[in-house]
Amino acid sequence: MDSAAALSPPQQSNPGFRLVDVTSQSGIHFIHNSGAYGGKFLPETMGSGCAFLDYDGDGWQDVLLINSMDWPGHRRVRTTMRLYHNNRNGTFTDVTHRAGLDIEMYGMGVAVADYNNDGFPDIFITCVGQNRLFKNTGRGTFLDVTRESGLAGREGFSTSALWFDFDRDGFLDLFVCNYVKWSPAQDVFCSLDGKHKSYCTPEAYRGETCWLFRNRGNGTFEDATATSGIFDTSSKSLGVAMLDYDQDGWPDLMVANDTQPNKLYRNQRNGTFKDVAVEAGVAFSNDGKARAGMGVAVGDFNRSGRPGIAITNFDDEMVGLYRPLGKAMYEDVAVQSGVGLPSKNTLGFGCVFADMNLGGALDLVVANGHIDETVRNIRGNVGYAQPPQLFLNDGAGKFRDVASEVGDAFARPKVGRGLCYGDFDRDGDLDLLMTTNNGPAYLFRNDQLSRNRAIRFRLVGTKSNRDAIGARVQIFHGESSQSRLVKSGSSYLSQSELPATFGFGQADRVDRVVLDWPSGRTEEYKNLASGKLYRCVEGKGITPLDGF
Amino acid sequence: MRSARRSPTFGLFLGLIITLAAVVVYSAYITRQISGLRALQNNLADRYRKDSLQLLRIQNDLNSLGLAMRDMLANDEPYPLTAWSAQFQQIHTDLSDALQREQQLAVVRRTPEQMQELANSFAQFWNAVDRTFALVRDGKEKEAREQIRISLQTRQASLTTAVARQLVENNAGEEQAARQIGEIYDRVQRQVYLFLTATLIAILLTSLYLIYWNRRLFAQLDALSTQRSELAQKLISTQESTLRYISRELHDEFGQILTAIGSMLNRAGKYAPEGSTLRSDLQEVRDITQTALDNVRTLSQALHPVMLEESGLENTMDWYIPTVEKQTGVAISYKKSGAPFPLDGSASVHIYRILQEALNNVARHSGAQQAWVRLHFSPDKLELEVEDHGAGFVRGAGKPGIGLVAMRERAELLGGTIEFVQPAAGGTLIRLRVPKTRMD
Repeated sequence: MDSAAALSPPQQSNPGFRLVDVTSQSGIHFIHNSGAYGGKFLPETMGSGCAFLDYDGDGWQDVLLINSMDWPGHRRVRTTMRLYHNNRNGTFTDVTHRAGLDIEMYGMGVAVADYNNDGFPDIFITCVGQNRLFKNTGRGTFLDVTRESGLAGREGFSTSALWFDFDRDGFLDLFVCNYVKWSPAQDVFCSLDGKHKSYCTPEAYRGETCWLFRNRGNGTFEDATATSGIFDTSSKSLGVAMLDYDQDGWPDLMVANDTQPNKLYRNQRNGTFKDVAVEAGVAFSNDGKARAGMGVAVGDFNRSGRPGIAITNFDDEMVGLYRPLGKAMYEDVAVQSGVGLPSKNTLGFGCVFADMNLGGALDLVVANGHIDETVRNIRGNVGYAQPPQLFLNDGAGKFRDVASEVGDAFARPKVGRGLCYGDFDRDGDLDLLMTTNNGPAYLFRNDQLSRNRAIRFRLVGTKSNRDAIGARVQIFHGESSQSRLVKSGSSYLSQSELPATFGFGQADRVDRVVLDWPSGRTEEYKNLASGKLYRCVEGKGITPLDGF
Repeated sequence: MRSARRSPTFGLFLGLIITLAAVVVYSAYITRQISGLRALQNNLADRYRKDSLQLLRIQNDLNSLGLAMRDMLANDEPYPLTAWSAQFQQIHTDLSDALQREQQLAVVRRTPEQMQELANSFAQFWNAVDRTFALVRDGKEKEAREQIRISLQTRQASLTTAVARQLVENNAGEEQAARQIGEIYDRVQRQVYLFLTATLIAILLTSLYLIYWNRRLFAQLDALSTQRSELAQKLISTQESTLRYISRELHDEFGQILTAIGSMLNRAGKYAPEGSTLRSDLQEVRDITQTALDNVRTLSQALHPVMLEESGLENTMDWYIPTVEKQTGVAISYKKSGAPFPLDGSASVHIYRILQEALNNVARHSGAQQAWVRLHFSPDKLELEVEDHGAGFVRGAGKPGIGLVAMRERAELLGGTIEFVQPAAGGTLIRLRVPKTRMD
């Protein structure tokens, strides 16, 4: 079968898959607690995140849901993050207490990676207040190593975070977004009617710089914020994604800022970064306005081999969908691609590029939900709870929102925030995990209706960092090629699974796979059968698993 | 008749030229106006807009500097003041680029002195920034903060005011350019209406002229057709009367004479002795005379069958067709159908002549040994068909003979139609249709 011919662009009438809400039946019972008691504190509207991670290394994706807590002086209930262990039969067991993670904190986001290269993923939680780093002991438990690692004593309003190896020394460094200078003591009185307090917009507060922590390789970190050129007190950052936008093999960063220009930090290969967002065309909207950037996703959605960018924004601002143009330039194609208009009246947060129908092109999923419960009184066509969107990519530059066609539960309006993907049932397709503000989390199982096939790769670094974060996987089949970046973070406050998943219609083989490791090593494998997950160890070859 | 001979071509050409000329002039005018508009927009409006954008960029950079200095003075970051140097450097780069572009785009309003003054102010600001960061590097953070408060923030405020003033000037200039553009649009709009009206009038006059000349031409054609028809009718009528006269003369005069000669020879022969040479000679002369009489009668019938007037078309055809068979050797199948109705003499003659010409053609040109003649009376018309399966008409064989032309003329005189078609078996089928109303 000709691989190119086997690519199956989505049918207009049938997306080719269903998203089934299996939250309850899988044993996940999680409600986010924003701590809202009437004080209308800004962080209440923002949380929280979620992650797919394989914390015990058994090859089955587990679930981590971040939680906030009641404010001091207004305690009603004890709430913590929840870690759910995958029972390998479609159900999960809450192991939070056993894992030592039932700790109260005002959690916002999460970044998961094996920062000490011991083979087990560690967890970094962003918080309002002190962020936390939990080291995986490898025995199903976690240790809070915030202080030992040198990350203590730094309080802020942190949001998204990610792990990446910016100096390519084989140890993962940590990037943390901060929103604004806020604390209960610095809270400002904002009001719509002059009498009652309402949630403030970010303009009411000063921005706060993002932080970059360099991994010394001995379990401790040094603050490289100022020396790397990341320091910028004007930013109000909510989302971050890593990418190699100039294709030089060094990881760059895309930061989504709220009411401030977005930042694209180019890695200058000497431990410093330079903001090139304006030159690259991603700082502003097409009309030159700094939008309210929330989440950010990066993916080769036009199969050019170069990363495209999606940034979710406030309602009336549309999602920004940036297509790579030549070298190091971007063009916002939201309107012409069909993403712009449907996202005009939605407020997007979490966003991921994932090939949901395994058709061979990255689709875009967006979690929507407003921050203002009374928004409908002001803007009649905008709701507080909003349906998520699933933009199916036709592979030719056009997207179509099929959320209402893939499942009623999925399409139901929610106050969406975090969003990530992972193949928790190991059937080869990507399932979705979504959190809502002050509401439940949702697990949507992807049931394929078409006979589209997938191939998955789990990379293990040896010279590179063990999670191979920053590695690029490129597959070639027929005349077509696709690429994925192994990455931490992105979306909003969330992290998807690390394995790279490719769909390519009904082709049964991939002609060629090229792995570009962060260490600079390139490996190539040919003629791989689809329908499998391959374990790729840097410098030691590739091993197919029986199934996914 | 001079006006009838005058050609309308000149008038039509003149109308066309006027119309085309109007369109060309109109297009040229619009092109020129649009070029002017584009030039004005490029030179003025677009430049103002682009310049304003650069000024806004400068203002945004100055605002970012203001915020950065505010944060530096807040002293609530765990970082030394050098941490801001990258931020300042980035703004410096962007500001320099924006200033350079702005100077290129700036419209005539600003004097070189003004531009130089602005450039100097920025240079002084950056010198002060460098001095401040030098103090920071020397560990004199307190003095640096003082420098920011006293010097940098004041200079930044002053620069912001200068840029804001330029933006206001630009807006005024942009408004003026917009007014000029609006006036051009109005002028173009007026001229467009004018030209459209002129073009419409030219098209209308040309069309009226065309209609007038068409009507004249059709009237002339109609008159010519009528004349030609009358002429043909007269010619045929003259021919028929001539033939009738000759036929009668032959029949009445020469026939009587030859009949008398025959009678006299008969009587003279009775007086000659039986078996004498004289008697046999007289008998021979009498036979010759009788043959001559028969020939005269046959010729007379051929020229104008008296039977047509005395017995009608059908009887004449009953006589004529066997005669043709005998004369030409062509076997003719004759079939008559329908309920006959009376025909006037003139119509009978024309139909007979057409039949005569058709059968002559069969005998002389087709090479066929058989022909079919069908006469059909229907309630509203008479239809005569003559068919053979011979050589048929050869396309492109030259002009049609006079016989065919005469057949058409006669059919037209009868108010009927005649068609020449090729049957499936080949040859020729001549079909004449005459409405009954024209034969009463």
